[in-house]
Amino acid sequence: MDDYKYLFKVVLIGEAGVGKTCLVRRFTQGLFPPGQGATIGVDFMIKSVEVNGEKIKLQIWDTAGQERFRSITQSYYHSANALILVYDVCSQLSFDNIPHWIQEIEKYANTKVFSYLVGNKIDQINRREIPSHIGEQFAKRYEMKFIETSAKEAENVDALFYDIATELTKQAHQQALETDKGVNFKAHNTSTISSCSTCLRF
Amino acid sequence: MPGCCGCWEVLRPPRYKRLVDSIFPANPQDGLVKNNMDKLTFYAMTTSEKLDRIGMYLEQRLSRDISRHRIGFVFVAMDALDQLLVACHAHSLNLFVESFLKMVQKLLECEEAELQILATQSFIKFANIEEDTPSYHRRYDFFVSKFSVMSHNADRNENVRTKIRGAGLLGLQGVVRKTVSDDLQVNIWDPVHMDKIVPSLLFNMHTPEFMSVNTESPRDEEHPAYIAEMVFRDLVCRASYGNVKSVLQPVLCHIDNHRLWVPNEFAVKCFKIIMYSVQIQRKQQYGYLVIQMLMSHLDTHTNSDPSIKASIIEVLYESVLISAGGSIGPSVLDVFNTLLRHLKTSVDNKSPEGEKRNMEKKFEEAIINTIGEFANNLPDYQKIEIMMFIMGKFPQFSHSEEMGFMDNYLQTMLLKTLLKVATKYKTVIMNNAFPPEFLHPLLRISLLDDPGLRVVVQEILHTLLDRHDNASKLKTVSIPKDVVSELDLTVDKVPRQDSLFMKKNGIQFYWHILENLQMESNKADNFEAIFCTMCLITIEMGGDDILVELIRLALDIQSMTIESTLPKTHKCCNHAIVAAYLNVLAQITNMSPLVQYLSDLFELRRKEACHLLPEFAFNRSNRDSSVKDEDYPKEDKVEEKWLFDQTALQDILTECGHDASRLSAPLAQRPHSSMGIMIHDSGMVNSMSDIGSINIELDSIESSPLLARKKVEEITVESLKKMLAEDQSVKREEDAKKRQEIFETFQNAPFEEIVARAEAKSNCFHDKLYEILEMSPPSSPDHTTKESQNAVPVFEMQFPSLYVY
Ligand SMILES: Nc1nc2c(ncn2[C@@H]2O[C@H](COP(=O)(O)OP(=O)(O)O)[C@@H](O)[C@H]2O)c(=O)[nH]1
Ligand SMILES: [Mg+2]
Repeated sequence: MDDYKYLFKVVLIGEAGVGKTCLVRRFTQGLFPPGQGATIGVDFMIKSVEVNGEKIKLQIWDTAGQERFRSITQSYYHSANALILVYDVCSQLSFDNIPHWIQEIEKYANTKVFSYLVGNKIDQINRREIPSHIGEQFAKRYEMKFIETSAKEAENVDALFYDIATELTKQAHQQALETDKGVNFKAHNTSTISSCSTCLRF
Repeated sequence: MPGCCGCWEVLRPPRYKRLVDSIFPANPQDGLVKNNMDKLTFYAMTTSEKLDRIGMYLEQRLSRDISRHRIGFVFVAMDALDQLLVACHAHSLNLFVESFLKMVQKLLECEEAELQILATQSFIKFANIEEDTPSYHRRYDFFVSKFSVMSHNADRNENVRTKIRGAGLLGLQGVVRKTVSDDLQVNIWDPVHMDKIVPSLLFNMHTPEFMSVNTESPRDEEHPAYIAEMVFRDLVCRASYGNVKSVLQPVLCHIDNHRLWVPNEFAVKCFKIIMYSVQIQRKQQYGYLVIQMLMSHLDTHTNSDPSIKASIIEVLYESVLISAGGSIGPSVLDVFNTLLRHLKTSVDNKSPEGEKRNMEKKFEEAIINTIGEFANNLPDYQKIEIMMFIMGKFPQFSHSEEMGFMDNYLQTMLLKTLLKVATKYKTVIMNNAFPPEFLHPLLRISLLDDPGLRVVVQEILHTLLDRHDNASKLKTVSIPKDVVSELDLTVDKVPRQDSLFMKKNGIQFYWHILENLQMESNKADNFEAIFCTMCLITIEMGGDDILVELIRLALDIQSMTIESTLPKTHKCCNHAIVAAYLNVLAQITNMSPLVQYLSDLFELRRKEACHLLPEFAFNRSNRDSSVKDEDYPKEDKVEEKWLFDQTALQDILTECGHDASRLSAPLAQRPHSSMGIMIHDSGMVNSMSDIGSINIELDSIESSPLLARKKVEEITVESLKKMLAEDQSVKREEDAKKRQEIFETFQNAPFEEIVARAEAKSNCFHDKLYEILEMSPPSSPDHTTKESQNAVPVFEMQFPSLYVY
């Protein structure tokens, strides 16, 4: 049965062409899509993972980087449990725009949303413009986690999403301890558990 | 957990489970097992407390089928759910709905297009069911998010793309329908939702090929653009007053983001839909809200490209057109204020680039049209108020810093605005069209320094005076043999009340006409416009009561001209105007002795002094045959016999049965005081005392209007510095207060009070007028500084540059 403990919403943002869609595809479908067009508006994928034996469902919202879709994409930040801000390690421009994206996050996302800075396309060794440590420093300054990936070579892609799932699960456990409710993270489906106990009483 | 359920099943599956299991066929292609489904439905209806269980069990089966990719059974399960939902919606649906929605969500999470579409269809069916009990904890965030994603689907296969998009759009409509009626549920108008829903709709509506496609072909109903538009209408219709804003904000944002203001075809389309949709509710104030939003959006674009601003204004204009019929809203003046402010900003953005300037001009024109359209929707008395309001923006009348320094161009724009509003006003009674509060400042600005501006003021007078569509026929100064038929004039009997109005206020008109004709900066247009005004006054208000005055006006112009130091060209124009004007007057009042007298005199002039006739003085063509400087007589002498003779005219009037005694005294007396230049004293005194008499006082030595004018100029120039040196701020405050009071009480105050107030105000206006005339350097230095022998050739500068658009 399709039963899971937690449901998390992950939103990918960043300039157009840095590889957001490829990262999502690689993770959810295990492939590197050949020549798909730029994302229009927002795209959606779902993937279940297991963290310490608990089933975790990740809703992944992949946004368009283009300016014209900004207002609709921004509306998806709001409910995100985690944000993945992607740049292209071979594009200085995409890195230079990171502060702007961080502003967007501060403006539209929940405060203290778990966020990841991701430098993608590290397979293109000869064309790299942003050294690892620069990205890392940057992430530190803004209290983000940092990782470098290649959607093409499937490098660090799973690691990225599993780390997010693990971190969010940890947070969810903590919250569940702090308060009984933990509504933020609990999916509707967790109710199956309780209803099952009623069924026992029945 | 599977263990616990398992143990149940080992013992004996409960009835509801057996019933559910029985509806699934062996081969999913066969669809629901119909009579078993009927049994299940009956069971669910009669044992409604079991409905929840049925839902949960179906959900389990569905999840299993999805994960095993048994799509056929998924369809069967959804079919069963739909049927149960419809059959059992009476009560206790609540928990069942939870299961149902989970299943829909599960399907929406699938990659398969067909499952997403199936889920949406079920959801839409569900959305149409009215539930009795609200469910406070139900959330639709996922559905809004996912349906919005579907609305943006980019599948390579057009067929799939169209289907998914269409489903997404209808899904969004479903969510709105489901939530909108119950405020206790999800607030669908929250920006979190609207920022997804609205862009999704607009994104699909904006399909270039659809906008041009003929929407009548049935296939189009499946087109996402068509669906999106339908859903958008529905959405706007459902928005309450407080929610209109929530829809509009993302609309404006979308149009900004997608750069859809220029060209604005799509923006216009959106706002037409919005305006019509809010109209359906017959709630006029909604329309006003839309207008207001557009205006504040315009504010955010103050520094944007003028083409964008012009486009927004055009959208505003279109929206105003639709809101026609009702009043625009509570704070009409707000609208005008905003528009005028943008007009000012645009004019101040003196962009050196020609292209940019052209765009600004387009923007300014658009503002003026929009103001006109606004005014058109107002009752007539409010139009006058609006005109007064606009006039209040002139530096002469405004002490507020709001508009700041105003150059000729901005004044021109304001006047064009005024003209636009004036053309929307339908004059019935002169007394209503020209309340003193309006007439006095209007006439005052008829004396503006700039000739182009003065023409516009005359045009404003024309449109307000002209009730019989004669103005356009009186644009050229000429002496037709048969005025009425040759010019195709419409002449009615003058209503008595208009005659009386003129008795009261005539002096205002006369004096300003005289002043106007003494302005050296006049161009041909100015003369023609003034001539037209004179004729219109005669046609519309020239009853027996004021006939003598109207003729006296001609004599005054004549004597003023002779005594003036105007250039020859100007003098000739004045003489020609007097001739043409008397010709019109004589013929429309049917005074044949006068007609005869005039035609004799014209004949004489033709022989001896043709430069005093319009054919010469207004020969505007630039061909070789046209009049050149050297064609004018060398001598500036006008022989007595060429002139209209007061005694002769007096005799004729008497012969025609009029009391011509008043013809012997000039009309306008320039009252003199040390500094307070009370131009309008005589007028005001008249209107306040005996309205039946003209009350001409002969106490002044300066019987010539020309001399009177000279004196004013002296006073002005000499005393202005003193005036400016004085601390004006106290006075300003006082005046501003007065102005405000007048504005407020104008409608209900007794006439005397209004007059008194107007009088107080006129002083301030006048001071200001001169203050401004002094402060702003003359835009064309040839106006007053030039010596009169350097006659400004009237014909070379027919169209003042400022008046060319
Ligand atoms: N070499 C390389 N190319 C990549 C990688 N990820 C994406 N790309 C390419 O970058 C381009 C843009 O990718 P896409 O996922 O559409 O970017 P998005 O706009 O951020 O979603 C495509 O041509 C991809 O093939 C990567 O890891 N390595
Ligand atoms: Mg993409």
